[in-house]
Amino acid sequence: MIKLNPKLSQKFSYLILFLATALAIMPIMAIIFIIVKNGISVVNWEFLTSMPKNGMREGGIFPAIVGTFAIVMSTIMLTLPTGVCAAIYLNEYARDNMLTRAIKLGIVNLAGIPSVVYGLFGFGIFVMFLKLGVSIIAGALTLSIMELPVIITTSRNALNSVPYSFREASWSLGVSRWQTIRHIVLPNALPGIMTGAVLSIARISGETAPILFTAVAFYVPHLPHSMFDQVMTLPYHLYIISTQIPNMPNSIIFGTALVLLVMILTMSFIAIFVRIYFRKHRKW
Amino acid sequence: MRRIIDTIIEKVIFSCGTLSVIFVILIFSFLFMESFAFFKDFDITKFVTGRYWYPDSEPALFGILSLIVGSFLVTLGACLIAVPVSIMTALYISEVVSKSVRDVLKSLVELMAAIPSVVIGFIGMIVLVPCVRKLFNVPTGLTAFSGSVMLAFMAMPTMVTISEDAIHSVPWQYKEGALALGATKWQTMRRIVLKTARPGIMAAIMLGIGRVVGETMTVMMITGNSSRIPHSIFEPVRTMTAVIAAEMGETVKGSMHYKALFSIGLVLFLITFLINFVADLFLGKNKNK
Amino acid sequence: MVDKIKVDNLSCYYNRKCVLESLNINVIQNEILSIIGPSNSGKTTFLRALNRMNDLDLTYSRRGEVYLDGGSIFDISMEDLRRRIGMLFAMPTPLPMTIYENIVYAPKRLGLISKKSEQDALVERALKDASLWDEVKDRLKSSAMKMSGGQQQRLCIARILAINPEVILFDEPCSGLDPISTVKVEESMIGLKQKYTIVLVTNNVKQASRVSDRTVFFFMGKIVEIGTTDKLFVSPKEKQTEDYITGRFG
Repeated sequence: MIKLNPKLSQKFSYLILFLATALAIMPIMAIIFIIVKNGISVVNWEFLTSMPKNGMREGGIFPAIVGTFAIVMSTIMLTLPTGVCAAIYLNEYARDNMLTRAIKLGIVNLAGIPSVVYGLFGFGIFVMFLKLGVSIIAGALTLSIMELPVIITTSRNALNSVPYSFREASWSLGVSRWQTIRHIVLPNALPGIMTGAVLSIARISGETAPILFTAVAFYVPHLPHSMFDQVMTLPYHLYIISTQIPNMPNSIIFGTALVLLVMILTMSFIAIFVRIYFRKHRKW
Repeated sequence: MRRIIDTIIEKVIFSCGTLSVIFVILIFSFLFMESFAFFKDFDITKFVTGRYWYPDSEPALFGILSLIVGSFLVTLGACLIAVPVSIMTALYISEVVSKSVRDVLKSLVELMAAIPSVVIGFIGMIVLVPCVRKLFNVPTGLTAFSGSVMLAFMAMPTMVTISEDAIHSVPWQYKEGALALGATKWQTMRRIVLKTARPGIMAAIMLGIGRVVGETMTVMMITGNSSRIPHSIFEPVRTMTAVIAAEMGETVKGSMHYKALFSIGLVLFLITFLINFVADLFLGKNKNK
Repeated sequence: MVDKIKVDNLSCYYNRKCVLESLNINVIQNEILSIIGPSNSGKTTFLRALNRMNDLDLTYSRRGEVYLDGGSIFDISMEDLRRRIGMLFAMPTPLPMTIYENIVYAPKRLGLISKKSEQDALVERALKDASLWDEVKDRLKSSAMKMSGGQQQRLCIARILAINPEVILFDEPCSGLDPISTVKVEESMIGLKQKYTIVLVTNNVKQASRVSDRTVFFFMGKIVEIGTTDKLFVSPKEKQTEDYITGRFG
């Protein structure tokens, strides 16, 4: 075997590592490029604000946008307060005992359950057992359980980044634990918690499997009136028109994908910038 | 008054804290109950080892072996692609480039995790599937291989981020020690950094696998949905997740088929539970150092 | 000579390891009591036992009693106790808000004040008592994190004064400060003696001799000697004390 010059071998390995990195970030670039290039022509105000026509082969995606919005907002309203409270419990109150260990294990495993299994569970318990029917609320409940571990983990990191000395200073002035959390810890952890929440919203907006049998419908001719209505959502709509409808014009599929992508990327960028901004302007 | 409010709020916080455990138990028992009812009527060994999934035939056959093989094949393929690429990327991001480039690259990799699986599935259908058909000269491009490629892209963000964290947290003294002895940066990376970061990298791989096994929409769209045991990776397959997603809508509540799908859900739950448990052990090992 | 705090046979443990053994000490009303001793002799643990800051540490346990004005400190809530016994930490710990907010933070949370005029008056009084008013009166709305270390430490004193405690515990309050800031903090301490009872833990033997009425010498979790500052520094009874204050060890 030829013994390579160590310096040369280093250069060669760096090249390989660089190529691997290129391979890892190429898909995201390619996906964005392909979708923008093919979808930009159909996306206009009318596409965004009109109902689908002619078996969805024409018209817009307005009901899917409204439906996505309804489900995502209901989900985050359910999961954010609960998740933040759970994070507060774990970070500020929990002692190192069996229960805490069980909770941590629960979070890890909740995070690992496949989304379609959440769909099964949500269908069984919310749609059937609690008789909520296929509805926004059933879908939102299912998604909020799925998103709970993510919210807990990001919020916990945010709470944990607030220096312990702030808590001690507050306690030493006779302020109670909850008051300290409410007025010192939470305000300082808020940027981190919000960043996590925005990323969660982005993630929920793109979910399909958990709401497949709990909230969505193939086609709904009107906008949702209440929490107990079925809805169309963007990702599910994209799935339908790209697999279930023959002779579907590609431009509409790309247009739908583009709208979904822009929504999600915008939120991700906002979250990233908020994170960078607050890291730079941190008060401590 | 103040004190009463404090106590009430603390009670609420505690209840929220325990929710995650309650949900895990609830999900498990729900899946378990339906599966238990199913296994009373259908032999569990036939369920796991049966080669045929024909829920509508007479008598109905609920063998998930082909689905397990399908899931396994797609996952294996995805890992073969994603694991080496992810580790190399993590090394590059953490050890080679400067801090600002590192932040940009990491954000880009993480951005991939935000792309919805239907979008990835759709791109796979439009771009990858025709390529696979032509390139490998197979009757259809909807194959396990196509699924593996797209899922590899989906697993990379998880694998890269977590292994990068592990590599980044290797104490600099270790590296300096090796460098001081005249090793090149690359030798240090290979011999010292990778070795020390191994538990974290293992956890990253496990979590990536967890994500791939549970992925539904993408595989449903591009793996062909054929519940036959494939002979090669270039044949259509059907995964456990895809079966649930595709058939749940058509079943009647309480029927054998309905319960069979919950049993598949239980299998998936147990597999991912195990994967995450192991990943957590690795992560814990990393922290104790 | 009234006993403000009486410590009765107090022992403290971390992970069952004894760090303070059977202490008996009394703190007299309106005195400054200094605690000196080498590091790891249990000074800070003792101080934190007095306002139960240790109780939040899960590995901590204790035996014995501490009385404040004759009542056990374990019979009242931690919040009430800490309102009566304020504490200043070794490192300045301003909260990440403005100077003004730092001072009104605790009184507001405790429901001591509500009106804006009351708040203004309180801020002025507290800052004056901590001899900080002249330096910051024009920038009360700027962040407390931007002040110098000495100013931050005096702000923390002002913050304690705002809740009007009976006892103030100082935990090596000047360890991170330059000599000029140290003098200022010491001056405010002496001024506070009229109204408050003060317990001071310090690594600086000279500081103890400058400010305190009585001094205690701790070593390895035990009291070696206690006495008026003059006596302890001029003619210590124990050899160990003499060695420590003359700088032969510690």
